[in-house]
Amino acid sequence: MRTVTRRRFVQGTAAVGGAAATSKFLFDGFDTVARADEVVDAAMAQLTEDVVPTTCWVGKQDCGMLARRVNGRVVKFEGHPANPLNYGTLCPKGQAQIGAVYDPNRVKTPLVRTNAKGEPGTWRSASWDEALELVAAEVNETRARNPKLVLWQKGRSKAKSFYDTAFVKAIGSSKLGHGAYCSDTGYRALEYTIGLHGVLHPDFRYTKYLLSWGWNITNAGGNKFCWLTWPRHLLAARERGMKIVHIDPRLRSAGPFADRWLAIKPGTDLAFALALCHELIANGHIDEEYLTTYTNAPYLVEDDGMFHRGDGDEPLVLDAATNSFVPASQAEAPTLRASTSHNGVAVKTAFEVFAEHVEQYTPEWAAEVCGIATSEIRRVAREYGEEAVIGSTIMVDGVEVPYRPVSIMAYHMVQQELGFQAMRAMLIVSMLVGAVGAAGGQFSDKTWKIDGKYTSLDEVEIGDGPYDFTLNKSKFYPINSGHPGLVAKVMADPERYDVEELPEVAILHMVNPLGSFADQDAFISTYEKFRFVAWIGPWISETADYFADVVLPSATIEKYEGPMSATDLYVDAKSMRLPPMEPLFESRGEIDIYLDLAAAIGVLEGEDGYIAQVNKALELEGEFALPLRGRPEVRDIFDRWARAQGIEEGLAFFEEHGVWVKGPVKPTKFYGYATDPVFGGVVHRLYGESLARYQKEMKARGVDDLYAVDYTALPMWREPTMEQSPGDYDLYLISYKLIEHKQARTSYIPLLNEISPGQRLDINPATARARGITDGAEVWVESHNAVTGETRRVKTVAAYTEGMRPDTVGMPHHFGLWTHPASRDRGPTPNALYFTGEGYTVNTADQSFHVKVRAYPEGGESA
Amino acid sequence: MTRYAMVIDLDRCQGCRACVEACKVENNTPQGSLWMHVFRLEEGTYPSTTMSFLPRPCQHCDNAPCVKVCPVGARYKREDGLVLTDFDRCIGCRYCELACPYGVNVFNWSDPAEHQYLDWDDPDLPDEVRGSVPPWHNPDHDVVHGDEQRRTSGGGHAKGVVEKCTFCVQRLERGELPACATTCPVNAIIFGDTDDPGDSVNAEIARGDAFDLLPEAGTKPRVHYVGGKHPTRSAREIERVEVEV
Repeated sequence: MRTVTRRRFVQGTAAVGGAAATSKFLFDGFDTVARADEVVDAAMAQLTEDVVPTTCWVGKQDCGMLARRVNGRVVKFEGHPANPLNYGTLCPKGQAQIGAVYDPNRVKTPLVRTNAKGEPGTWRSASWDEALELVAAEVNETRARNPKLVLWQKGRSKAKSFYDTAFVKAIGSSKLGHGAYCSDTGYRALEYTIGLHGVLHPDFRYTKYLLSWGWNITNAGGNKFCWLTWPRHLLAARERGMKIVHIDPRLRSAGPFADRWLAIKPGTDLAFALALCHELIANGHIDEEYLTTYTNAPYLVEDDGMFHRGDGDEPLVLDAATNSFVPASQAEAPTLRASTSHNGVAVKTAFEVFAEHVEQYTPEWAAEVCGIATSEIRRVAREYGEEAVIGSTIMVDGVEVPYRPVSIMAYHMVQQELGFQAMRAMLIVSMLVGAVGAAGGQFSDKTWKIDGKYTSLDEVEIGDGPYDFTLNKSKFYPINSGHPGLVAKVMADPERYDVEELPEVAILHMVNPLGSFADQDAFISTYEKFRFVAWIGPWISETADYFADVVLPSATIEKYEGPMSATDLYVDAKSMRLPPMEPLFESRGEIDIYLDLAAAIGVLEGEDGYIAQVNKALELEGEFALPLRGRPEVRDIFDRWARAQGIEEGLAFFEEHGVWVKGPVKPTKFYGYATDPVFGGVVHRLYGESLARYQKEMKARGVDDLYAVDYTALPMWREPTMEQSPGDYDLYLISYKLIEHKQARTSYIPLLNEISPGQRLDINPATARARGITDGAEVWVESHNAVTGETRRVKTVAAYTEGMRPDTVGMPHHFGLWTHPASRDRGPTPNALYFTGEGYTVNTADQSFHVKVRAYPEGGESA
Repeated sequence: MTRYAMVIDLDRCQGCRACVEACKVENNTPQGSLWMHVFRLEEGTYPSTTMSFLPRPCQHCDNAPCVKVCPVGARYKREDGLVLTDFDRCIGCRYCELACPYGVNVFNWSDPAEHQYLDWDDPDLPDEVRGSVPPWHNPDHDVVHGDEQRRTSGGGHAKGVVEKCTFCVQRLERGELPACATTCPVNAIIFGDTDDPGDSVNAEIARGDAFDLLPEAGTKPRVHYVGGKHPTRSAREIERVEVEV
């Protein structure tokens, strides 16, 4: 820490007051400005100023920060100049979070509910001991029968989530996250297809042609990072000449950064991607070497859709070197395209099957489906194929890697009914030209690390029930992300889903289903079925307001958290969140809360206890391991971690520097082609044999076709269920993030609400005028569920924009909250209009954020 | 000597309004007082729609109309280019507000301390915080600045005075850039000294596409724009900020 005094401001001030006494004659009751002697007093005071390094608490990225303190009081957060994520800058949320830290509306003490659940809560203060004992007693009562009936649920883990996963492991509970509402569909598609835990982003250092596919560029969208690392990379690439084709029903997401705007119809991304595949094959833009060497494209497929294995276990390929059928791993030169027979069995290569499959998906066909001109589809496919310069290589830091400077950024857009196969198809676009893991090409994660799900998603054993309440490995959702809304549906009607045991106790940590998740109705009608709900967070969320029995107040930024990655992809770094002040009021840092909770429950110590789990998660071994007896101090946990990394000073290093910059990421770690083994040694799954197998098993168990239809080996277009809504629901509703907000926690910051004041319906003026909807006037938005016939409506105000498809309307996914004075009366949330369940859930148990709606002016209910 | 200027690169601005928030926190401006504003604009009709962003701080004009009309010398121009307001002198006549073609002046209609977003009078806040309104109150604004030794920095000082962007005079004295330029995630705001030939701000101003806002007003702004074009009359503002005063 650097300490400076403010003497330089102590200058001759005696003359200052001259004007002060004279001026304010225009107003009654004007404020008296400070007198000159007060000015002198303030200036003369010995102000002690210092700077504490920490990281942002409010956003997604954990950007590096410096907290400027005067006499121990934080007056401003600034970006940390050395942190690769933000290099000294901060976003509007990062700046405004200081308004949240001091917020007197935070939960100040533990609270115990004094009224019935299902309505706004009334509370009494409690001591930490009492509150922790209450939670522990309820948890243990259920744990004794079945620990899985305790449900731990978190919105978004900040920093490394070791401390809460350690808790889940120590008590043996079930867990749910936020991913089913975020981008988990894409994660499942990529884990399954190429083994990486991520969705799609470019290698901005070299890419020249970017498909910005539903990317909310100017509002912190995008895979892995949000604001502000991606925009920095994007601008650098753009200044180098990169072109951006923006594929989105809404222009505002890219704003001025769209070189071309293709206003695609919501829910048709799969069709567009299939047409690109059609064109790439037709134009010969195919990287045969990649496809034959690193993918299952040459595997032979029988008529039933399963691989041809001959007498062995391994799929066979036709080896051109010997003109014989050999197991895939033994072939010298697998044939990419063949239609032949082996031992009397008709077989085709997977690529041949794929090529024949996409013949139907012509640009003309896709133009009809997607609402984009045929010529535009052809042009994108041609440019993408040509810009890929198939066969070329480039030297990166002394390593030669294939060069394919074409890429896709896609993330939250996958949350649509056909999202899983849409993402598979988009990835196959990239695979066809060999761009996965190439310089300038397609990336999905910060490092090339094969995820365990590459194997497990291929080996799902679908059971016969009864199922657990998440429907994991069920005949309904065999690939399953864990969807809180579906759990609510199951709780409402367990028999329908062949579930016998329901969760009884919920520990909700910074998760606000009533505000942040789609289908509020599902939660409102079922969360009161929990016998007991504990809430951990700095404010009483809407969910806590209705359902919490006990509230445990957590700190905002004033706590230790970490370690966190601070890499921007190209430079490797780690940072820590350090408390710039003591936790305010009686709040505690989360790690303290989990330590205390583990102790109260009786799982803190011992071989499988919380401390042991922390040791495992942080890889604290030998001299660095925490003793398994006694409650550790949080600072000590991180001090041990830092020393285990070889940092002699321990945590003091971070207290001094804030960020540990390790240096450039080596190309041999970064580029899939350059890793050893190449692509982490996995075979990329162009053809998803196991998906077809799951469909057979699902059908054999008699599930409705809606669950099984998208389990196909190759991405296959069908019309989304929402299209079956009646014709007067003639608009598509999409929702999106605003740069000023991040989930619920920013809604409690009045500085941000000021510049992003409330809900609106983005609507094309022509569409609006035809319905008698005027700009700025009140408008009803009514959604329809094509499966159940249910309708829902909310009222907001119309906001004309020419940057929206005429058949599509949009609403930011924030607002609709009521517990905090700053968040009230800002209009509804579109989450009230969405549905969870059949037709509105992806086959991987993820939420779709598409629904058909109609819009009519206030007073036009009969329209 | 030093002559400050700002260049805003519209090819880089992503319209995020981080500058707006950095300004508010640094300068403690009350609710409804946005010294920096970022317009979000669209032109054309679907599908030939274009969008743009336009950050607009005080232009710190060399020929500042606000300075000319101020009857009490509260608004003044410094040699280093800054246009500042001595709020001890301001009589709240609002002539500056009328004279400025850019709309950057904000009048405090009511007690600013009562419009700092939340009721901060909370006995549970720690001792070092209590009494500061807002709690992030910046002590730099309690002291005088410059050779002229006037209180010119920060906002929310008193009811009945006009306040506006100061180029963060208090930060310049500390050797720091204005809060907006510091925080801009995409480095769209370039700030520097036009009298220093080596300062990068000069290369930006020399760009062929540089322009000033409302050049016909003859105000000679010290804020320049590059990488975009002057908004036309057909530009429509979207995502309007309707502040609560």
